[in-house]
Amino acid sequence: MVDVGSTKAGVWSRRDFLRAAAGTGAALVLTSPGALRASSSANELRIALVGLGAQGRVLMDAVLKIENVRFVAVCDIWDYALTYGERLLKKMDQEVRGYSDYREMLDKEKDLDAVLVATPDFWHAPITNDCLRAGLNVYCEKMMSNTIEGARSMVQTMRETGKLLQIGHQRRSNPRYIVALERLYKKGLLGRVTAANAQWNRAAAADLSWPKKATMSEELLHKWGYEDMNQFRNWRWFKKYGGGPLSDLGAHQIDIFNWFFDGPPVSVLAGGGNDYYPNHEWFDNAMVIYEYQTADGPARAFYQVLTTTSAGGGYFEQFMGIDGTLKISENPKLTALYREAHAPSWDEFVAQHLLRVPKAPPTSRSDEETKVDARETAALAAYELPVVLNKAIHQPHLENFFNAIRGEAKLNCPADEAFRSEYAVFKAIEAVYAEKMIRIDPEETIA
Amino acid sequence: MEKSPPPTDTLGPTLAFLVLRLWLAVRAIVAGIEKFAVTEMTQRPLLDETGAPDPSGAIVEVEQKIYAWQNYHGLPKALSLKLAEEPLLPKFLLEPFAACLGWALIVLGAMLLFGLFTRITLALQGLIYVMLTIGLILLNQNDGVAWLGIHVGLIALALYLARYNVLAFPRKW
Repeated sequence: MVDVGSTKAGVWSRRDFLRAAAGTGAALVLTSPGALRASSSANELRIALVGLGAQGRVLMDAVLKIENVRFVAVCDIWDYALTYGERLLKKMDQEVRGYSDYREMLDKEKDLDAVLVATPDFWHAPITNDCLRAGLNVYCEKMMSNTIEGARSMVQTMRETGKLLQIGHQRRSNPRYIVALERLYKKGLLGRVTAANAQWNRAAAADLSWPKKATMSEELLHKWGYEDMNQFRNWRWFKKYGGGPLSDLGAHQIDIFNWFFDGPPVSVLAGGGNDYYPNHEWFDNAMVIYEYQTADGPARAFYQVLTTTSAGGGYFEQFMGIDGTLKISENPKLTALYREAHAPSWDEFVAQHLLRVPKAPPTSRSDEETKVDARETAALAAYELPVVLNKAIHQPHLENFFNAIRGEAKLNCPADEAFRSEYAVFKAIEAVYAEKMIRIDPEETIA
Repeated sequence: MEKSPPPTDTLGPTLAFLVLRLWLAVRAIVAGIEKFAVTEMTQRPLLDETGAPDPSGAIVEVEQKIYAWQNYHGLPKALSLKLAEEPLLPKFLLEPFAACLGWALIVLGAMLLFGLFTRITLALQGLIYVMLTIGLILLNQNDGVAWLGIHVGLIALALYLARYNVLAFPRKW
C-alpha cells in the first residue's frame, strides 16, 4: 500500500498528494479506513479569493457549499469588502488571512492550490497571469479581460505554465444546459437550426453607492488604477475597467451561441448607444446580429441587452429550428421547448425524461374569435425540460474546476475555449462603434 | 287451442345487469381509491441510453403517483374552497361529506361487486352522485353535471334491471 505520510525524499505535502492521487489513481490509496481518514484532509483544496465584490461573494457562497474546499486567504483592496469576507468566512469556521495586495498574498501563501479571481475586468489578466506563474490553478470570472490582448495573454500563460484556467461562463457546467445540448440539440430535436435569439433586459437602476466612512483614499485608488470612488464602485460603466453591458451580461449568452453552434460567428453587425444614463461611458442598450456557419448551414443570432428596462422579459437564449425551438435560461421558469406541428414525434424524449408534457393551458373560444390574421401559425405544443439544479448556479462550474484540479474531470470552460466566445463579444463592441458589419475570420478567434 | 306464453329470455337482461353492476362497482371503488392518491414530482438521476446515470450528473423531476392513507382528500382542494363559498351549501356538512366520500364509494362499490343489498346500494350510490351534482350545479360546472348525470342514468337503469339480479344476497334488497 502507498504510504500517504511520507516519500523517499521526506514528508509529502498535501499538494504532492493531490498530484499523485490525480496522476496515479487515488482509488488505490483510498482502500483502507486509515488511508481514508488521511485522505480526507489531504484531498482538501486550499484556495484564495481575490475580489470580494458582488460577484466574489456569489462565488464565496457557492464554494462554501462544496465539500473539501477551504478558503485560506482573501484579498481585496477595499478594506470594507475585505472585512465583510473575513467575517463571513469566520462565521463558517474558515479562518482566513486577509490581504489588500494580491502579490503579497502570493508571496506569503505557499500552500495554495487555486485562486478565484472576481475583480473588475481590467485586473483579470494581470492577477490571473501572476497566479498561474506562481504555480496556481485559477478560476477567473468572465470577461477574461477588458482587452483582446489581455485575454490572449491569459491563454498563453495557461499554456506556458500547464496550470488550469477555468473562465466563469458557468452555464457550461449547468446540467440543464448540458442535457439540452447533448441529449436534445445534438440529437436533432430541433431539426435544422437557422436562427438564435438571446436577451438580457434589466430595469433602470441608480449607480452603486458606498458608505462614506468606507471611502478609499485617492492614493489607494490611483495605486490600483481607479480615477475615484464612484468609478471604483461603478466600474462596469467605464471603458478603462470593463466592457459594458455586452461584456457583463452578453458574454454569458453569446458564449451559449458559440457553444451550441460549435464555433465562433463569421460576421457581426451591432448598434447601441447612451440612450438614458448621462454619466456612463459605455452604451446602455445594444442589439447585435451575428452570422454563423454551422455544419448544417448558415444561422443568424440576434442578441439584445437592455439596461434601461426589464421589459418584463428576463434573460434567456433561444435556438430556433425547422422542427422546434429551445428556449433556455438559468431560470427554469423561462425554459421551454416548442414542437412544430409537422415535426416528428418527441415521445421518445418524453419517455427518457428529457422532456415533460406540461398540463395544457386553458383555451377560450374568444381567443379564436379575436385572431385577426388567418396566416398565424397555430399555437405549438410546449414541453418542459425536467432537469433540475438543486444548487447555486455557479456551484457546478466551481465543482468542475475543483474536480479538474484533482484530476477527476476536464475543465468545462478552459481559457482557450472561452477566448473564442469572448472574441465575438469584443467584435460586437467594435461593431457598435464602427457602425458597420465586421467580418470575423475563425482563425483570429484562436488565441 | 290455447296459445302458450312466449318463452321468457332472461339470460340477456341478466347479463346486461351483471355487466352494469360490475361497471358501477368498479367505477365507485376506483374513484374511492383515487382519493388516496396524489401526483408528486420526485427527483431521480437522468439516465443515458444505456441506463447508466447521465455523465452530466443531471437530476430530473419525474411525475409520480403515490397512494397513501395520509394522501386522502375527499374533494379536490380547489373544489372544496369553491364549495365553501357557496351560500346555499351548509358549510358544516362539507367537511364530513368530504371525509366520508372516498370510503363510501369504496364500501358501496364493494357491496355492489359482491351483490350485497344491491338495490339499496345502488340507491345510495345514486344519492352520492346527486349530492355531488348539487355542488357542481351551484358552481356552474355544467360539464361535470352532465358527467354525473350519465352516472345517475346508469344507476336508474341498473335499478330497473335489478329484477334480473343474480349472485346476490339478499335477492330481495
